Parts: sequence; C-alpha cells; structure tokens
Amino acid sequence: MADGAAPAATIRLPGPLRDRAGRRTEVATRGTTVRALIVDLDQQFPGMRFELCEETGNLRPFINIFLGNENVRDLQGLDTPVSDGGIVHILLSVAGG
Amino acid sequence: MAAKRSYPKGTVALSVGTKRGVFLLTSKDRRTWKVEEPSLVGYRVYHAAVDMRNGTRMYAAANNDFFGSGVRYSDDFGHTWKEPEKGIAFVEGSSLSLKNIWIIEPGRPSEPDTVYCGVDPAALFVSHDRGKTWAMNAGLENHHTRGRWQPGAGGLCLHSIVAHPDNPRRIWVAISAVGVMRTDDGGQTWTFCNKGTRADFLPDKYPEFGQCVHRLILHPTRHDVLYQQNHCSTYLSDNAGDTWTEIRSNLPSDFGFPMALDPHDPKTLYTIVENPEGRTNVTNQFTVYRTRNAGRHWQRLTKGLPKGPAVRLGVLRHGLSTDSRDPCGVYVGTNTGQLFASRDRGDSWRLIADFLPPIYSVTTAVL
Repeated sequence: MADGAAPAATIRLPGPLRDRAGRRTEVATRGTTVRALIVDLDQQFPGMRFELCEETGNLRPFINIFLGNENVRDLQGLDTPVSDGGIVHILLSVAGG
Repeated sequence: MAAKRSYPKGTVALSVGTKRGVFLLTSKDRRTWKVEEPSLVGYRVYHAAVDMRNGTRMYAAANNDFFGSGVRYSDDFGHTWKEPEKGIAFVEGSSLSLKNIWIIEPGRPSEPDTVYCGVDPAALFVSHDRGKTWAMNAGLENHHTRGRWQPGAGGLCLHSIVAHPDNPRRIWVAISAVGVMRTDDGGQTWTFCNKGTRADFLPDKYPEFGQCVHRLILHPTRHDVLYQQNHCSTYLSDNAGDTWTEIRSNLPSDFGFPMALDPHDPKTLYTIVENPEGRTNVTNQFTVYRTRNAGRHWQRLTKGLPKGPAVRLGVLRHGLSTDSRDPCGVYVGTNTGQLFASRDRGDSWRLIADFLPPIYSVTTAVL
C-alpha cells in the first residue's frame, strides 16, 4: 500500500493498458518518485509494472513516461521526483515509420 | 461477440501462431477447413498449441513489442484468454529480462498438469498447474558456461523442449546458438549433447557448445532416437544425444529450420531446407523434403506446391507439423502467410489459407 503521506499523482493510461485497470483512463496513485508510482499502480492492478518495466528495473524501450510535458528519460528516469498533483502520462513510442 | 467455439470429436485443429495473433483452423475431413477469427492480435505469437491431456486447453506465447510478453491460455479454443497468476519472468533485479517466449510444450502424458516453456534469453520455465504459475529452472540458468553463450540471429532462444516420455528425470532442450543440452536429474544439472554436429561459422568446427541447432524432435517410440535440423546440416542421434550422425544425404542445402515426423512411421521425416543467404526455397520450386528411411535418402515433395521465378517462401523453425491421423497430415506455414496442407503424408498439397500475417508456428491436435 502506498504511503498516505506521499505525493498524490494521476497516471493517465494508454489504450492497451486500460483493460488491466478496469477500463479506467487514469488512476490515482501515491509515491515520491515515478518508480514508486508504478509500484503503487502495480499494487492496485497487478501486472502493470511488468508491462512497463523489464525485470532489470529499467523502463521498457518503447514505453515513454512523461511527468507533465517532460519525458522522464530526460530527467532522472524512473527516479524522477514527483510533486503533489503531478500528472503522469504513459505513452507508446510512435511505431510504423 | 463471436459465438463460443466447440468442435465435434475427431476434428483436426491447427493452431497457427503469427506476427499478428493466433488463428485456429479446423476440419473433420482435412479437405475443407474452417478458419476462425484471430485472437491475441496485438501479439507476436511465436508458438501456440492445444493440450488435450487434462481437458482441452490452448496455450499461446504472446510476445509484445511495447509491453511485457507472457503465456496466455484458453479453455474455449481462443475465444477468451487468461493470463497466469505468476507469469514467466526473470527474478526482479536480475541482469536478464524476458525478450520473447519461443515455445510452450505440454509435458509427459504421466504429468498432465505440467507444461514447459522456452524463452529468450535462454531459459526453461515449468508450470505444474496447467500454466497458472511458472518457475524458472535454476540448473540451466546457472550453468557454468552460460556467460559464454552467444545468440543466433533470432536471439539466444530456447526453442525446443523434449521431455523423455518415460523417464521423469530426463529432458532435452535446444538453444540457438548454444546447441542441445540434456538433464538426467530432473533439471538440476545439464550437459551438452553436441558431439558430431558442426558449427561451420566458428574457428573450431566441432566445439563442445556453440552449435546453431534450429529444431529438435524425438522418435515417438524409440526414446533414445532424436533428430535435429541445424544451421549446418541435418542430424540423427540413436544414443539420446551423446553423438550425432549427419543425415543430410541428398538434401540440396545444409541450412533449414523446421522438422517433423510421421508418428505412425517415425523413420519418415519431413524438413524444409533453404538457400542460406535468402532463407527461401533453394530452386524456383517450393519443396518439402521427406525421407522414409531416417535420412538415407530424401524425396522432393512438390505436387500442389507453388513454382516460379517469383516463388520465394521461407519456413521458420516451428512452421512444419504433422497430425496423428493415419495417413498423417502434414502442414507448412510460411513467413509470408501461406498455409499448405497434405492429407496423404506429403504426396500432394493444397493451399488452405493465404494472406495470413507471417506464420511463426503450426501445431496440430485431433480433438
């Protein structure tokens, strides 16, 4: 269970992950980093972390996570700190050309 | 919502794994085939199989380009799919991460709840509860040579699993480009079984390991007899893999991927060898090769198969299969989406489906 005192953030899910979250488009999570938000998301909807991260702990290559308008790969990756009220977008890399 | 699928007893079912999902084709007489709507269309299904040892359960190796890959199983022939409670994955924090699931192999008849799975990077997983939970085989994972294993072009994939039908402690696996390995203690330790198979692409042509085995199958009644199609020829072992003898004979190429046999006459083998550069038919005639004497001589099977300067078809390692009817049916799926079938041991062929996505695997079941 996420720490109730940790910052609250909203994760917006891409279409292919919504079935796993009961067709929700977004999920309320808590955590001090993006990684912690994913752990909370996984606790609410088991399997989410494996969809997003490899067993090594790294983000899968064609998954992009934006905190606001910033790709977390350009920040501190999954260890990027999260502020209260943060909006996290999970997006797939553009594929097809 | 499509109607729930059910089929009369005796129906031959083909599970066809493709780049865009799994297709099920069924036939009572093997002349007329019904093609169901595909399922798991967002996945590269490297392998799919119907397991009939304990009820009827269909398994699929569902690989995803974006998200995690995993096994899926269905008790209604692919109408709906479930995912394991504890899926296939390396230990969290490991230096390894799952790339693709290559094969799902139902276990011995005596262990009807056991299913094996081979993955890239090379590892063997086993489930003892019909796919609900999976565990990795640590003996293979921790093999002392593992750090020196090199991938083939398709990855470091464990693509063939043969559980000895009567000896619960013996299993063979085949890994590209490592070779064949065998355990005789239920998976605690593994030894290489590559003596006599070549690795033409290495300085040492006969190394202990490093061979690029493409497919491994077992004789259905003589359980010390194995056959393999390899990057560098076609081989037979009559001593459980201790040594191998080349059975290329008059085949026009060393290079091929798939292999299958007639369960009613296991000296009858089928393979498809290819031009190693183009990885398609050697001549303008798409050809399946059959031997009726365990590789002493190979026949060219062409009746009903396409021919011409524009015919360039490739068949991947799991793209050739036989059924258990007598005479056996033979099925070939190409990596350009054609599915050919023979109901007379390969004497003649028909195109039974076209315009499928690239075909990775074809397996059969008689329901």
